[in-house]
Amino acid sequence: MRGESAVKVPGGKLVRASVTYEAHVQSVEIRGDFFLEPPEALAAIERSVEGLPRDAPHEAFAGAVAEVDATLVGFDADDVATAVREAMA
Amino acid sequence: MTDSVDERATGLRVVDPEPLGEPVHHALDETLIERLDAGECRPTLRVWRRTTPAVPFGRFQSFDDEIEVEYAREHGVVPVRRVTGGGSMYVAPGDVVTYSLYLPLEWVPADVEASYADLDQPAIEALRGLGIDVRHEPLNDVEHDDGKIGGSAQLRAGDAVLHHTTMSYDLDTREMLRVLRIGEEKLSDKAVKSAEKRVAVMTDYLTESRDEVIDAIVAAYLTRFGGEEGTLTDAERERADDLAETKFSTREWNESL
Repeated sequence: MRGESAVKVPGGKLVRASVTYEAHVQSVEIRGDFFLEPPEALAAIERSVEGLPRDAPHEAFAGAVAEVDATLVGFDADDVATAVREAMA
Repeated sequence: MTDSVDERATGLRVVDPEPLGEPVHHALDETLIERLDAGECRPTLRVWRRTTPAVPFGRFQSFDDEIEVEYAREHGVVPVRRVTGGGSMYVAPGDVVTYSLYLPLEWVPADVEASYADLDQPAIEALRGLGIDVRHEPLNDVEHDDGKIGGSAQLRAGDAVLHHTTMSYDLDTREMLRVLRIGEEKLSDKAVKSAEKRVAVMTDYLTESRDEVIDAIVAAYLTRFGGEEGTLTDAERERADDLAETKFSTREWNESL
């Protein structure tokens, strides 16, 4: 299955998630008007939640994103978790 | 080919080259932040002048989500993915004020949010001096009570920071709505009015020319950091021309996401 979401985060940035999943998350694309340093960390953030059960709690998704060595500006790991889970809702 | 940096020079080198194609501007951003980080150029303020309408869009945005690709192609609007994050905007030559600052990390507040406010401040003071009541709005907007007048974006690379800002001197709102994919009810009178409410432009508040605005902004940054007018070096231009062709004009870069 494939689902999409667009989450407006506090401060006004938009985080879009496009997720392919069955019982587990298979692949994720995160897009939006946020800032991220280093920019190359986007792929690591996308990969960090792959393999999680689709019904895993918010904290599991946010925790996986927070593990990535990157500075998120204008959005945070919780916003990514919200967007990814909403895409599968 | 490397340039020798004059160790005695302090403050900013201000460069204001002739109008350039959109990909070259983004290539200059990459070139100058890399060279500053490598100690191969001075801290620099660069003024952008454009040859075509364009859509600079954020590094992490989807090309297809942001741009009416067919309309842009038919009307000579050039989309280029920036090296910085943030949102997309429609820009036309003569209608916007864009500049890039390339600064040593040690000149910039460590807190990212604070650094946006700090580095926007000279431009905001310059506009206030011209009678436009603008303020910094976190994270990265320049706001007037009537709407957003501009925005900034940053990239850190090693020991260098790029901070670039675009502000609307004037704006063709209808054309912006044709080029950007903003909403469903595009080009309805309601959509145009709604967009006009969110956006403020300098020409609503002042009679000074765009060049006078640019001069005031440059003067404000020179007051802040010191420095003097200069030029891009041949090596910088060659590197940027090369990157414009091999990266910022390519689908591999612009349509990568």
